[in-house]
Amino acid sequence: MSMAYGPHYKEMIMGEFKGSAAANDLSVALSNDELHILINLVEQLLELLGERNFTHHYQSDDPFAQLMAATLGNIESPIDQPEDPVLRRLLPNGYADPESAAEFRKYTEGSLRMVKQKHLLYLREQLVFPVDHELPKADIAVTDPTQWLIAINDLRIALAVRLDIGQDGYEKFELMKDSDPQKHLHAVYYWLGAIQESLISHL
Amino acid sequence: MSSQTQVEETLDLSKFFDNLWVAIVWDDPVNLMNYVTYVFIKLFGFSKEKAHKLMMQVHTEGKAVVASGTREEMERAVQQLHEHGLWATLQRDDHGRV
Repeated sequence: MSMAYGPHYKEMIMGEFKGSAAANDLSVALSNDELHILINLVEQLLELLGERNFTHHYQSDDPFAQLMAATLGNIESPIDQPEDPVLRRLLPNGYADPESAAEFRKYTEGSLRMVKQKHLLYLREQLVFPVDHELPKADIAVTDPTQWLIAINDLRIALAVRLDIGQDGYEKFELMKDSDPQKHLHAVYYWLGAIQESLISHL
Repeated sequence: MSSQTQVEETLDLSKFFDNLWVAIVWDDPVNLMNYVTYVFIKLFGFSKEKAHKLMMQVHTEGKAVVASGTREEMERAVQQLHEHGLWATLQRDDHGRV
């Protein structure tokens, strides 16, 4: 597990949470740049999670199509672990034994993908709709802190796998040269950790 | 008590333990310590102290048993842990065997 960041993390929090979940008035102030980064990450992960055809129905408004898609998902034959390492981590095996894992995946992977897509779609909606792009900052109401937490956690997992961030990730990040093209992505990862940490402290 | 009865009781007991399954959470470098604690409280209704202790066990020992019950219950628990981004598996409870 991780404590997310080193001693400088507070400087990284530009988006600060206000209010509390208990009082139902939790909100976060995010700059336009931060919003764009978040929306972009959310959409990339949604695209990745939607790879298998039976999970694409989040794009459809037609209830019948949704029902058919859900049913088709249930009668799929046993499915292999996804090839993409991000999906392997987000949709992990439920059993160490490969045979039981495949059987478990057959009945659960579709709904696990759907739940993750649901959280990400919720976050995307929160970020896209209330934003007046003329303003430098937007105050966004956090109506469902749990969905925020889970969605941001999934984004962090996806980034960590792509960037190969391990236990010593923060030390490596601090040693990276500014000219390193991946440095800003690592910074985004630690920024997301700071947001998540801040959000938890407001629950 | 006849020896016949005793044998039957032993069989029943082993059947009981065969039905005992556990959900295990594995350590990973991404999930924040206080997020993991939060998830344990939310999913299993643990006290803050118990959730924190289990989180520390995952962190220092690499894994911890967080729930036990029937196979179906543990499949549901693992599914929920996966929904929250934790790395979890289920297996038969090795320690409950007699």
